[in-house]
Amino acid sequence: MENEKVKDYVKKRYAEIANGSQNCCSSSCCSSSKDISENIGYSRKELDDIPNEAVLGLGCGNPVALAGLKQGNIVLDLGSGAGIDVFLASKRVGVSGKVIGVDMTEAMINKATTLAKDRGLINVEFRLGEIEALPIEDNSVDVVISNCVINLCPNKKKAFIEIFRVLKGGGRLVISDLVTNGKLPKEVKQSFEAWAGCIAGALEKDIYLKIIEEVGFSKIKIIKEIPYTFDVSKQLQGKILSISVEAHKMVA
Amino acid sequence: MKKRLMDILACPIDKHHPLDLYVFKENEEIEEGLIVCSKCLRWYPIRDEIPEMLPDELRKESEDMPFLKKWKDHFPQNIVFEGKPFRLK
Repeated sequence: MENEKVKDYVKKRYAEIANGSQNCCSSSCCSSSKDISENIGYSRKELDDIPNEAVLGLGCGNPVALAGLKQGNIVLDLGSGAGIDVFLASKRVGVSGKVIGVDMTEAMINKATTLAKDRGLINVEFRLGEIEALPIEDNSVDVVISNCVINLCPNKKKAFIEIFRVLKGGGRLVISDLVTNGKLPKEVKQSFEAWAGCIAGALEKDIYLKIIEEVGFSKIKIIKEIPYTFDVSKQLQGKILSISVEAHKMVA
Repeated sequence: MKKRLMDILACPIDKHHPLDLYVFKENEEIEEGLIVCSKCLRWYPIRDEIPEMLPDELRKESEDMPFLKKWKDHFPQNIVFEGKPFRLK
């Protein structure tokens, strides 16, 4: 499948999600997004503390909780969506730090920017951009986080090369993502639906970790691993894993 | 966007930093403006306070040309006629 076609499809699909949920927050859909989010590792208190509209239930972990962020950290969230992880991280880094969200879907960035403004958050910023070509200076970020997004990138190696480039020496990535336990059936790999549902683009776990190592990271560790069962067909039960990975860029 | 965020902003194509900022419309934040990479001459719009830092293949001429035309008197001349990925012919 061509990379640009995948990106277009993913963009369109996520724009629909961003726009759709703006109209549905009085119904039960937000509470179900919260339920999904609780299942994948957010606490109810965390979720109640941030704007409802930022919680779309699209993640597969809670990287902020695992990232050990400190006051003053510069944090980059890749595929920031409506901003859930940016808002959570902004509390931890305080006003001396900042959190930058990058997403390639205009509707998501618009939504997140509006929510940040409504809340008067001064330490967050969103920009339209792409993970495989980040608009971020070399060696400028303390921690890169991402939640269930790298699997959507057609070229994961390029994505990890970019992550390595923007991190400071001594910086680290803490990423939650879907990987597979063994190979997926061919028909699943070729379905656009499965792409945007985070599944078709998921790599086998060992390959995923190997790419992280190849681009230069050290001390690579899976800090959490659980089977991902939400919205997964019978055929795929047990084959999809949600992992949270930590890896370090050594000081040059 | 906030001016201080220019700190770590780089061109997504050649990773050049710092980039040049031109402010067209401003309240508390920059509402409309232009970000220019002086190295490769790519330009990136700031619209509705959002810096649009997409690589060429994800940009739409149909959206970016009207922006260029609207602000061309405020664009640096070399970007109007030699800028990438879109310019006046």
